[in-house]
Amino acid sequence: MEQVECIVVGGGLAGLSAAYGLASAGAEVMVLERGDYSGAKNVTGGRLYVKPIRRFYPELWDEAPYERPVARELVTMMAGGAHTTVEIASDRFTAGQPQSYTVLRARLDQWLAEKVGEKGAMVVPNMKVDELLRKDGKVTGIRAGEDEIGAQVVIVAEGVLRLLSSKAGLTSEPQARHHAIGYKEVIELPAGVIEDRWRLNPGEGAAHLFMGDCTKGMMGGAFLYTNKESISLGMVVGMDDMRRRRDGSESWQLLDEFKELPQIKPLVAGGTVAEYSAHSIPEGGISQVPKLAGDGYVVAGDTAGLSLNALVTVRGMDFAIASGYFAAQAVLKAKEAGDFSAAGLASYEASLRDSFVLRDLETARSIPNVMENPRLFTHYPQAIGRLLESVYTIDDQPQAGIVKKAWRGVRRDFMSVATVKDAWSMRKI
Amino acid sequence: MDIVVCVKTNPDLQMVRVKDRVAVTEAVPYKIGDLEKNALQAAVDLRAAAGGKVTALCLAVGNRKAAEDVKVALAMGADEAVVIDDPALAAPDQAAVATALAAAVKKIGACDLLLFGEGSTDNYSGQVGARVAEILGLPQIGYARKVEAVGGAVRCERSMDDMLETLEAPLPAVVTVVSEINEPTIPGLMQIMKAKSKPLQVWSLADLGLDAAQLAPTREIVSNLAEEQDRKHILFDGSAAEQADAFVNALIKEGVLGR
Ligand SMILES: Cc1cc2nc3c(=O)[nH]c(=O)nc-3n(C[C@H](O)[C@H](O)[C@H](O)COP(=O)(O)OP(=O)(O)OC[C@H]3O[C@@H](n4cnc5c(N)ncnc54)[C@H](O)[C@@H]3O)c2cc1C
Repeated sequence: MEQVECIVVGGGLAGLSAAYGLASAGAEVMVLERGDYSGAKNVTGGRLYVKPIRRFYPELWDEAPYERPVARELVTMMAGGAHTTVEIASDRFTAGQPQSYTVLRARLDQWLAEKVGEKGAMVVPNMKVDELLRKDGKVTGIRAGEDEIGAQVVIVAEGVLRLLSSKAGLTSEPQARHHAIGYKEVIELPAGVIEDRWRLNPGEGAAHLFMGDCTKGMMGGAFLYTNKESISLGMVVGMDDMRRRRDGSESWQLLDEFKELPQIKPLVAGGTVAEYSAHSIPEGGISQVPKLAGDGYVVAGDTAGLSLNALVTVRGMDFAIASGYFAAQAVLKAKEAGDFSAAGLASYEASLRDSFVLRDLETARSIPNVMENPRLFTHYPQAIGRLLESVYTIDDQPQAGIVKKAWRGVRRDFMSVATVKDAWSMRKI
Repeated sequence: MDIVVCVKTNPDLQMVRVKDRVAVTEAVPYKIGDLEKNALQAAVDLRAAAGGKVTALCLAVGNRKAAEDVKVALAMGADEAVVIDDPALAAPDQAAVATALAAAVKKIGACDLLLFGEGSTDNYSGQVGARVAEILGLPQIGYARKVEAVGGAVRCERSMDDMLETLEAPLPAVVTVVSEINEPTIPGLMQIMKAKSKPLQVWSLADLGLDAAQLAPTREIVSNLAEEQDRKHILFDGSAAEQADAFVNALIKEGVLGR
């Protein structure tokens, strides 16, 4: 059997980040990517938090092909035809090195794959891995079609579906309950129109999230990120909720209906849909993170369940890149010691535990449970809308004072046993 | 039989979008065209029958990663690859492409058969094979759907709609092939890995003894657009049968039917 030092399965951000670290240190690396090129099959909402990953590969992040630095954050709660939006545009979001950028994966991943190639790794697109080879419990290589290639270590970064890793017994099979389905459109709009619609300085971007009616009470929400000359508009819905709904509607219909809402229509007016994609997202949180390394392998990125949906912040790409970095460091250490066993690769999990990746997931441990509370997507968006709507409403009756109106809303919608219970369950998020 | 196959890398057409009637090629990856892959496969098949060496020759127009992309040809079975890459070749016309390729074929030296696709997937001018044959003073057979080596000659079959034509040319010769000729194999991982260590050279125009002035385009394509047609925007009401009648009448009125 032909042998190489390291095989990376999956040329997404996690796999490429691992390969970059390994190749930079002179290790022999081969990345196998099923898509026509890196980025072809990868889906994200659209925002990469760069601050957390800057210290890994600092030479990369100043020249990465970003779309726009996010200068304006908006979140809209929508219910019963009322949209209430909270908005913040802070100098701190963009001063110096911006904390986050909108991105398009086709561009970002292709660029990173090129960088990985420049470091001497072999990136093979159009190459689907069919099996992880195991012998006496140790991962010994891969099979692609007829060809079997051996490796001292296999970095499994195959994304969320875990087809190979679960079949090889490295991870469990993904369960609907711990996943959401995301789908999005890239809608082209001229740069000037984007800057006018979201009130942005030239080149700056906005991130806009929506929760409430858009998912018909199901767990999830909608997102909108501004790119250079397009917007990424999409939706994320809990897979279990989506499966259990009884109205017979299809997931994509939600997005179509969303786009037709009078509050949303003007945001997308005149745009041309250039791209449509769908993907699933791990949302099980830290309790669903599998064993991260074993004899002859490590798992990284979505395969390791490293993603975090905390309602207003969605992270997965920065975790993927960080886990790829730590995987590379652990493999290099194992190489030095000549020990690619679980023990030799143990520093991978240790460094993830020390870093923001598993720490932030730990902090957010209770989020997946909280998100299962449907009131989050029904009652609260409605209550907030009702309260503010009443404050802003003048009809032909004598008006109550503003404070009185507000109090009425607070008493009606927020001072119940259920709300107190919700508040208690949310105390840790 | 030593064979040189000219392979062009084109922007991946599946990835090209059209915006305001202009093709957006930014961030679109390049790949070896499908017809070139047919030509390459034909070369590999001929080598299996007649022995010899297969060299893939690629002129890198607009593709700064051509030396990388051409490795697919090596994985598919070419023994060696040559890439002509020169900043002066940013937007050459067919004459310049043919001049550079012909010079490279001369430099490669051993060449009994020179294979091309019938045209390239992007511009499809279908000229380059014939032009190179003319420059090198070689016989040329175009649009072959079958190629065989017979003694010191190449025998080709081509489809002329209502008949098949079989032609023979003495070697060395130039042949362009059509897609029916074969089904190119998709290289496996092992072949891709082996391709890494096969010889690959990159030549500039100077290496070919050419200078940019010789290759300056004699024509400039100002615009290349399909004719724009206005839609009639006619809507028909009524039952399906009524709509069909109205539709047929409209077609007759437009002179599309019943001429
Ligand atoms: C709708 C949506 C919105 C999101 N929004 C955000 C956001 O705004 N910010 C953020 O940070 N994160 C976001 N995420 C999460 C983020 O996109 C993912 O966490 C991230 O893409 C994970 O990267 P990865 O490299 O682990 O996996 P992937 O990007 O999925 O890469 C896996 C790669 O493996 C390849 N592969 C799979 N199987 C095989 C095989 N058998 N052989 C060869 N190759 C194979 C695939 O083709 C793919 O390229 C979002 C996700 C979705 C779906």
